[in-house]
Amino acid sequence: MTPDQAVILQQLINGLSLGMMYALLALGFTMVYGIIELINFAHFNVFMSGTFFGLWFLAFLGYGRNAAPLTGSTLALVFVGAFAVTMLTTGVLGAVIERLCLKPLRGVSGTAPMITTIGVSLILQSLILYATNFANNVPYPALVPNERWAVFGSTVEITLKNVLLWVSALVLMVILDYFVRRTWLGKAMRATAQDPEAARMMGIRIDVIILATFFIGSALAGAAALIFGVYYGLTSYIVGYLAGLRAFTAAVLGGIGNIPGAVLGGLVIGFVESLSGQYIGNSWSDVVIFSILVCVLVFRPNGLLGMQRPQRA
Amino acid sequence: MRRFLGRRFAPSFIAGLALVSSMAPAAARIASAQDMPSTIVIGINLPFTGADAADAANIRDGALMAIDEINKAGGIAGQIMIEPLLKDDGTVAAGQYDPAQAATNTKQFVADPNVMAVVGPQMSGSGKAMAPIASDAGLMLITPSSTNPDITDPNFISQYRPNGKAIYFRTVTTDAFQGPYMANYAAESLGIRSIYILDDTGAYGEGIANAFEGQAKVKGINVLGHDKLNPKESDYTTVLTKIKALNPDALYYGGVQQAAVKLAKQANDVMPNLPKLGGDGVYSVSFPQDAGRAAENWYATIAAPDTIDEPQAQDWVARYQSKFGASPQDYALTAYDAVLVLDDTVRRLVNDGMPITRDNVRDYAQMTNLPTLQGTISFDANGDLQEKIISVFQVKDGLYKYVGAAPQT
Repeated sequence: MTPDQAVILQQLINGLSLGMMYALLALGFTMVYGIIELINFAHFNVFMSGTFFGLWFLAFLGYGRNAAPLTGSTLALVFVGAFAVTMLTTGVLGAVIERLCLKPLRGVSGTAPMITTIGVSLILQSLILYATNFANNVPYPALVPNERWAVFGSTVEITLKNVLLWVSALVLMVILDYFVRRTWLGKAMRATAQDPEAARMMGIRIDVIILATFFIGSALAGAAALIFGVYYGLTSYIVGYLAGLRAFTAAVLGGIGNIPGAVLGGLVIGFVESLSGQYIGNSWSDVVIFSILVCVLVFRPNGLLGMQRPQRA
Repeated sequence: MRRFLGRRFAPSFIAGLALVSSMAPAAARIASAQDMPSTIVIGINLPFTGADAADAANIRDGALMAIDEINKAGGIAGQIMIEPLLKDDGTVAAGQYDPAQAATNTKQFVADPNVMAVVGPQMSGSGKAMAPIASDAGLMLITPSSTNPDITDPNFISQYRPNGKAIYFRTVTTDAFQGPYMANYAAESLGIRSIYILDDTGAYGEGIANAFEGQAKVKGINVLGHDKLNPKESDYTTVLTKIKALNPDALYYGGVQQAAVKLAKQANDVMPNLPKLGGDGVYSVSFPQDAGRAAENWYATIAAPDTIDEPQAQDWVARYQSKFGASPQDYALTAYDAVLVLDDTVRRLVNDGMPITRDNVRDYAQMTNLPTLQGTISFDANGDLQEKIISVFQVKDGLYKYVGAAPQT
């Protein structure tokens, strides 16, 4: 492998890690949009809050900022526990936001619900800021050992952090796919997305479906948050904005409302970010990402895999 | 905004006090004793919110300690008390210092007729916003840590001091020396032949990185590239992967904490053994705490002599520790010295029987020649410190260890 090929491969590995994180986050945007045609900007900071929920849970377990790396079954156990708790807390947070702030606005036309989500987002950010005593760059414990493997004996390295990220994101996506296709609740969700009125007539309680959608989307943001914290080794109250913006872009790129589209969009944006950082310059990544978004939307206004939205009578 | 140490006296009380003091023999020779205020206000502008908050607090405590000691000794020249007025130029939205907030704070200082001088800012990005406003009002600023050379550069008079006179004084030297001297250190002491440079797009970060780059080239170091980091961005692995493929001898980072901690963490993942160098933006209370093991072996500089490790400063360090329960860094001492400069300035005004006005404070500060713990403080015509010493540190076991002064050539 030549050095040029090696660096491309290494950037693709970086891009895959970024893309998986964006994809998990984009799923939350796309699922909520698919059901109630709402762009949920609170999702940005549900994700950000999740990074802190995970951090606090790890601290509660006794893994402070200077904790030593874990190995084997302890590592697996701690991570399964941390995923469960973080996803549950962000899921509940998302559901509470829906019940308190968005359900009363159901049926209100125009931008009121969307503006509400922006407000909720800012409130969450301020709450976390106060809860962390205005700290910035709050370190995560370095629980994952710094293991790395060379690919085909070259300079390209895959770290244990990469592998954990890919595996956990993939497992969650497979579970989500199974849930949406095979379970009763998943079918009810798809039915509601296709035609809420008809679904209601079939005896589906729409409010429960919407609540479940917020819970699942936010739980996925929680998973992305824990992955983010472990991967980068720190968090701060501002991390929601850029990650959320790119994930939202990923959802639109793939076709908002479309679940496979969100995953595809996330991966595309991850790869574009890492490759443009290599060849065009770090500070130009956003320019490239949004240029591609504009080009895709000009030629495919419904995104790569097509927009899916509720049909209104 | 918090106010420390008492409140301003009512005007009638000031008149009464002036009457009493004019009867005192020492004050009797001053013709205009009635004009002498019993209290002056010194503004303190630092980023207490955001990534640099820990350093801002360290610097603030140095300044407050000086004010407290002066007041306990009876005030400046035994008659004028100092009241600090603290303002925060860090904002939640920026996550660090915010030049727009710094400009607002400066306007508020200017609007308060009792403010005679301002200690601060910590950050040059704020300094660039504050200097022109302060210049219009004739209000002097004295910074304990802002090192961007443009602000005091005579070539930028129309931008940063439209009134002509120097109003931006420093108790540290500038990046015109900090960047190049570190390049000398890299070439001479560390034997570095190739380097990659990053900055955080801030006024300070860009300035010091460019100054470093210029001298690195003079020294024959091969500069493999110079990229910019968005301080709000989370992911720097892409640019670090690019750097790793170029296989440099070292990495130089110009910038402050928000990007520094993330960079250190991720650089440690991608290139654990690469030497990493930074400026005084990396010399921070919080850097080894937040970056943890990733901070080990980072080099950092300051634009001042390393005084707090010297024997003559140990009494000062002990006073600071007993007062605040934390250890000072060198920029806490330069902040302490900044207040001493103002104390000395006002004392000379009192001795000469001059009224305490902003213009007089500025003019007399210009003539400062004050021995302090860090050395004799005197300013050139632009407000820059005459003494130009750059100290190099390295993080060892979570603490900055002084390694020596950087070579001047």
